[in-house]
Amino acid sequence: MIRFMDLRSRLPFLLLGLLVLVGCSEGERYPDRPMMLICPWSAGGGTDTVSRTVAALLEQELGVPVNVVNATGGSGVTGHTRGALAPADGYTLTMVTVELNMLHWRGLTNITPDDFRPLMLLNRDDAALFVRDDAPWQTLAELKDAVAAEPRALRASGTAQGGIWHVSLAGWLNDEGLDAGDILWIPINGAGPSLDALMSGGVEMVCCSLPEASALLESGRIRCLGVMSADRVQGFLDVPTFREEGSDWTMGGWRGLALPLGVPEDRAELLESAVAKVIQSESYLEFMENTGFNVSPAPPEAFRAIMDEFDRQMGVILTGDAFQSVRSTRYGPMIFPGILLGLLALVLLILAVRGGLRRSVEAPRIDRDGLVRMGVALAFVLGYVLLADRVGYVLTAMVLLLGMLCFLRVKWPVALAVALVCAPMTYQVFAVVLRVPLPWGWLGW
Amino acid sequence: MDPAIVDAASQVLLDPVVWTAILASALYGVFVGAVPGLTATMAMALLVPLTYWLPPLPALAAIVTMVACAIFAGDIPTILLRIPGTPASAAYADLGSGLASRGRADAALVTALIFSVAGGLFGAVVLILLGSQLAQVGTLFSPAEHFWLYVLGLTCAVVVSQGAPIKGASAVLLGLLVSTVGLSAVHAQSRFTFGNPELYQGIGFIPAMIGLFGVSEVFKNLLTMIPESDRASNQIPGGATPSPGHPLKEVPGAIRRLVRRPFSSLRSGSIGALIGMLPGAGADIASWVSLGIGRQSDLPHAESDDEGALDRLGTATTANSSALAGAWIPALVLGIPGDSVTAIVIGVLMMKDLTPGPEIFEKQATLVYGLYLIFILANLILLPVGLAAIKAGGLVLRVPKRILMPVILLFCVLGSFAINGSTFDIGVMLVFGLFGFVLERRAIPLGPVVLGIILGGPLEERLIQVLTAADGSAIAFVDRWPARVLVGLWILLLIVALIRPGRWLAGDSRQNRLR
Repeated sequence: MIRFMDLRSRLPFLLLGLLVLVGCSEGERYPDRPMMLICPWSAGGGTDTVSRTVAALLEQELGVPVNVVNATGGSGVTGHTRGALAPADGYTLTMVTVELNMLHWRGLTNITPDDFRPLMLLNRDDAALFVRDDAPWQTLAELKDAVAAEPRALRASGTAQGGIWHVSLAGWLNDEGLDAGDILWIPINGAGPSLDALMSGGVEMVCCSLPEASALLESGRIRCLGVMSADRVQGFLDVPTFREEGSDWTMGGWRGLALPLGVPEDRAELLESAVAKVIQSESYLEFMENTGFNVSPAPPEAFRAIMDEFDRQMGVILTGDAFQSVRSTRYGPMIFPGILLGLLALVLLILAVRGGLRRSVEAPRIDRDGLVRMGVALAFVLGYVLLADRVGYVLTAMVLLLGMLCFLRVKWPVALAVALVCAPMTYQVFAVVLRVPLPWGWLGW
Repeated sequence: MDPAIVDAASQVLLDPVVWTAILASALYGVFVGAVPGLTATMAMALLVPLTYWLPPLPALAAIVTMVACAIFAGDIPTILLRIPGTPASAAYADLGSGLASRGRADAALVTALIFSVAGGLFGAVVLILLGSQLAQVGTLFSPAEHFWLYVLGLTCAVVVSQGAPIKGASAVLLGLLVSTVGLSAVHAQSRFTFGNPELYQGIGFIPAMIGLFGVSEVFKNLLTMIPESDRASNQIPGGATPSPGHPLKEVPGAIRRLVRRPFSSLRSGSIGALIGMLPGAGADIASWVSLGIGRQSDLPHAESDDEGALDRLGTATTANSSALAGAWIPALVLGIPGDSVTAIVIGVLMMKDLTPGPEIFEKQATLVYGLYLIFILANLILLPVGLAAIKAGGLVLRVPKRILMPVILLFCVLGSFAINGSTFDIGVMLVFGLFGFVLERRAIPLGPVVLGIILGGPLEERLIQVLTAADGSAIAFVDRWPARVLVGLWILLLIVALIRPGRWLAGDSRQNRLR
């Protein structure tokens, strides 16, 4: 313990020394360290693929690593919130998607498009309606008649309840004077699993974008009744539009890059021109064409206008009476946890009666020293959480590791050696090789 | 012979770029798999920028090899430290670490390696011979069938978990309850978030798993650490000295184990391939189900000694490796990803202007044959790389615990943070570390908690989907024949498990000690 105290009293000086050595080189050059691109959707999806392509090309353009982080969950709430609340230093970009226009209307977050500084609109994919190749409806009109004749008999999916493709389909039904709930929406997370359900007969139709269904479409296993865009879509020219089929309804999703508010304008402009170069590059265009994503770039002002227009439209749809009835499902959110809690109570009751909740024979007794050691381990982790963001990963890890090793009475030269080797080594592996955006601090690493 | 096969063979075998890709990604895969918190999906996503500059075959070679090596490498910390490197090894964390504590770490690791290689090769053969036919099976799975598959997986976790199955059941239920925290995917409403926006995304199962296994293990070790005897405190309490680290010596034994029971290996290989093929189910469920079915049929002799435990460990590792190739079947044939790794693969293929689908077999025959060859090569290369990794892993056991524990804790922190760069996940890890510590002292197994967290979301989704689609009629769960087959399997499993009712409540203390 004495050694540990000794060391601790010297630590501030040590830190100060290191700081002086490195100097306060707060960068004049921008960017001079790795950047982060937040993707609100999971690895492997369309938005993720676009994010990673842009990141890889942007990295070449800017000369610093651009790491994609999948901040998934909450139908996009997580990623968009993190993106909007990120430090406004120009090192965090967000791949915003159409859900930004929807989440706040559904009361899931306070984040709106006004919380971002738009950088570039990258693509717009319009909604399309797919049925199996053996389905009886050849045209949109036939499908509409079938729905009108027997409401709530047909099932559709494509995304979660209230997601963009659900809104697209419900909006179309509304537009046709039908009830938004006349086609049962089965909430399935993602276009892939929905198409899977379509193939297995779990649903009769899927509403999603054309590129998401291209493999099945090209092999003739599914048929597209129409795409909800004004004009036919490049790459899918044999797919009719809804307009050609006698409806005026258009709807779709979009993706674009944005910065949090407050980023210095010169940095934002530098990024803007870098992104502009990327999206005109041959590799980007080739990728977008191969994957079937619709390229519709738009600079910040136009992007802002598009977001505002979508926002207004979504407000009308999502807060309208027609959609309110669709939103409330019969099987509420507490049914499943309720069942589980009931079962758990039963199981715990049996266990308690039989004495199964007592400490097991093999578990060692807790003594005071052991508790203190556990407490120190807890403090180690909490200390990391509190300090790492400000001080930086390497210093925090080094200091905490050293402290804990000394506390466990490892001889201090050994402890020092372990700390000095481990912290920079793990940094190299995680931040450099694996691209984990480790906390940045005083030393610049 | 089909000229495309010759063409593919020459393209794969003679190209130094392919070999380099295989070797480099094997090393990368072993590392990623061995560090808890780094998942194959994440490693895959990191490979994506690299695949831009690689031609299709080396790109695929890198992906296949990386994943195969990562899934095996996940067993190394599982067995040595009882911290699963990937969720796919959580099923046998107790089994493997039990062997290690009795001085059979090398035997367990080498068995895991040999059986993984066998499983991987078996999966590759299934992909090659039956891929396009089997893809049709996947299309039989509507939400109702998925529901039953998840129920089957969870029941297996209860049946095989350590000690009394009723404790396993409570563990599964706890895990399922944890999974309901956050924004419900089917309802788009938040539950149990207490207004905390960080909880909207729910409890991530990777930080939870690292907490449950890793941090609780650190706590347990710190609690019993005897400060005076440094080296002696290194061993797991009550255990023998860890074996000195001659993995090569264990190879013949492991191979004997493999050939002695060809039927059980074939069975778990098939279970793995079939489950891997189904979208939404993967290596993690495969190892549970394989253990569950294996336990019932091999029971009389399987539990009697270390040999039995090694056999059981082997069947599980066969299944999770075989599941990897299975996941490629729907991806290649239908363009529907079987798991998140193949989802990224489809992206990579499309980037190269190769659209997955039935035509890929005619239009891109060379590529498909090349891919088959790569699957075989990847599993063969795993053998030497895996042995080297086992040898290196053995060094970990020689580090005194008082040095090892803080370093492991640092890795736990990094691993939880890595998955989506959020400090909140470190907090999740810590809470689950304490939770796991408490559960362990009550002899409640941790593996089923992890499976519950993983399957809770999909299970609820399917439940609500089936109910919504049928407008509330419960018959919908059993009105299709594939669903009935699964229900039949499930009931069979329950009956066999219930034959020994004493074990359900009390747990067999002899088994407890042996595993």
